[in-house]
Amino acid sequence: MKALIVMYKEIVDNLRDRQTFFYALLFGPVLLPLIIGGSLVASFKQFAIDFDEVTELAIVNETAAPNLVAFLYSNNVDVITAPDEVEAAVRAGDIMIALEIPDEFGEQLRKANPAPLTLYVNDADKDSTRAARKISALVSGYKNTINSLRMQHRGIDPQVFNSIELTEFDVSEDGSSGQLLASILPFLFIMSMIMGGFYLAIDTTAGERERMSLEPLLALPLDRADVVYGKFGATLCFVLMSSCLTVLSIYALFQFFPTELISGGLRFDGSTLVKAFLLVSPLTVFLSAALITVSAYTRSTKEAQTYLGLMMIVPMAPFFLLQFFSLGASTWSMALPMLSQYQLLEKVVLQDDINQWHALLSVGGTLLAGLLLLRLATKLYRRDRILM
Amino acid sequence: MIKAEHLEKAFTKPGGGLFKREQVKAVQDVSFSAADGSVTGLLGPNGAGKSTTLRMLATLIHPDGGSATIDGLDINTDVLKVRQQLGFMPHNAGIYPRLSARENISYYARLCGLDKAKAQSRVNELADQLEMTEFIERRAMGFSQGQRTKVALARALVHQPQTIMLDEPTNGLDVMATRGLRTIIRELADQGHCIVFSSHIMQEVAALCDRVAIIAHGTIAIEDDLDGIRKRTGHDDLEDAFVQAIGAAPVGTSAAGVSQ
Repeated sequence: MKALIVMYKEIVDNLRDRQTFFYALLFGPVLLPLIIGGSLVASFKQFAIDFDEVTELAIVNETAAPNLVAFLYSNNVDVITAPDEVEAAVRAGDIMIALEIPDEFGEQLRKANPAPLTLYVNDADKDSTRAARKISALVSGYKNTINSLRMQHRGIDPQVFNSIELTEFDVSEDGSSGQLLASILPFLFIMSMIMGGFYLAIDTTAGERERMSLEPLLALPLDRADVVYGKFGATLCFVLMSSCLTVLSIYALFQFFPTELISGGLRFDGSTLVKAFLLVSPLTVFLSAALITVSAYTRSTKEAQTYLGLMMIVPMAPFFLLQFFSLGASTWSMALPMLSQYQLLEKVVLQDDINQWHALLSVGGTLLAGLLLLRLATKLYRRDRILM
Repeated sequence: MIKAEHLEKAFTKPGGGLFKREQVKAVQDVSFSAADGSVTGLLGPNGAGKSTTLRMLATLIHPDGGSATIDGLDINTDVLKVRQQLGFMPHNAGIYPRLSARENISYYARLCGLDKAKAQSRVNELADQLEMTEFIERRAMGFSQGQRTKVALARALVHQPQTIMLDEPTNGLDVMATRGLRTIIRELADQGHCIVFSSHIMQEVAALCDRVAIIAHGTIAIEDDLDGIRKRTGHDDLEDAFVQAIGAAPVGTSAAGVSQ
């Protein structure tokens, strides 16, 4: 009961604090997904070639290869007349790319010699590179057609030159190409949870010590455990609020995601996000307890900010670990807070089946670790040193 | 009613490293008593052990040795009961700047077990008693030191404790505010409360206290009423008496004779 009074006071107090409010309700749940997810969406869009999209191509001497130009035109390439200084124009970004057709192009083709073509591209410009990749792919297709025709003309089956056909067969369940994207989700959740409770945890523990309001509070007729539980409860509320908002903003963000560009059955729809949120929710308890414990250990808000700033690296650890090492989901990894959520959420996003025991182990292990941390925080509060 | 007997407390010196842990004895042997209906001054220079003594009595830290009772309740065993009897205002007690004076006080009232209605009426009572009606609804950010002290004092009094301990409450207060506070403390004593008031300023203690315990180097050097202190130190001037008392403490000459 007394813990509830402490919790209510801390919530009201911190809702009046702009810094806490900003980090809990804006930075973590809205700005962070926007910055990370937004740049990811942008880079995927940039990386992917859309053959339905119309690309403008400047061609020097287009009359020398009317068939090639017609082929390109039929593949959504709009031909524009090239300026005089082609190289400079591409470098300056006036035109994205340019194709130069030499006068002898037609003659070389007729003689069955390699016919030269020059593609001007600005590698420093992502749009130019992307357009060049599209044109190369188209020209390569055109080349294959001519090759086949030449061989058939000489009575050779084009298959003769196709001595080996290598087929790559991806046996991994998740098709690891989507792994990076799938691990963004737990990363965003965990970061927004930490941001949500960050300032409140500091303000209610280290801040209270620094303001010298902890001593009169602890002199009241209440158990110190109630004080810790109250502060934990308030932090948990903010962390929960922050993570709920994150679900909404991730849902909104991934409406813009070109999912058809990613191999594997990657999905970010409503039910996926709800499932992901349920699996990640035990972390709210664990992270709130961790925030409270770390800041209870520190003497000032500045010290707490330093320690908790370092703690921010912890959620990134599984993210990088899973990028560099292929860690399979095992029983032991499922008992670990954060690592297990990364692995489970990846499966959720990739629409893989989730082992029930793995899910239970993850929830149990995370909650247990949270409770142990809470016990530690209570112990820290019972020491004389908390008032020194 | 407070009775402290041979209280002891040592701290580890900060910055000693892992293997060189030096202990500092903040309180070596403190015995004194404070009666109901009177103001007892705990007087001593900075670092004498006043705050540590009061913190032990307020059950905030555990004594290494010795014992004490508040209204007959042991500070080591009846922790929550002692706190219910005790109103403690620590040195430079902070209040919550984003809460109003009323919210600051009623938060403590609720934590002491008062329901919402009772907490509000108690806040109104205290606002009248301590003359806070003018700023009771204002948020504490930007309060003057005097206003902050009043809020902190109201918090300490909110559960109507029998025993009240104030650790250097006049610190940072101007003359008028100090006088106001003195009047309030006197009134509380006249109502029958036991009041312990710590300070390092002799004149302040002289103006207010019925009895004085002078503490130096972690031990009580002398404990008596003002006249008694004058007589036993042989100084008519209280400041001279204070200087002699704290100077004599480590040698132990007068301490042996005056401790009860």
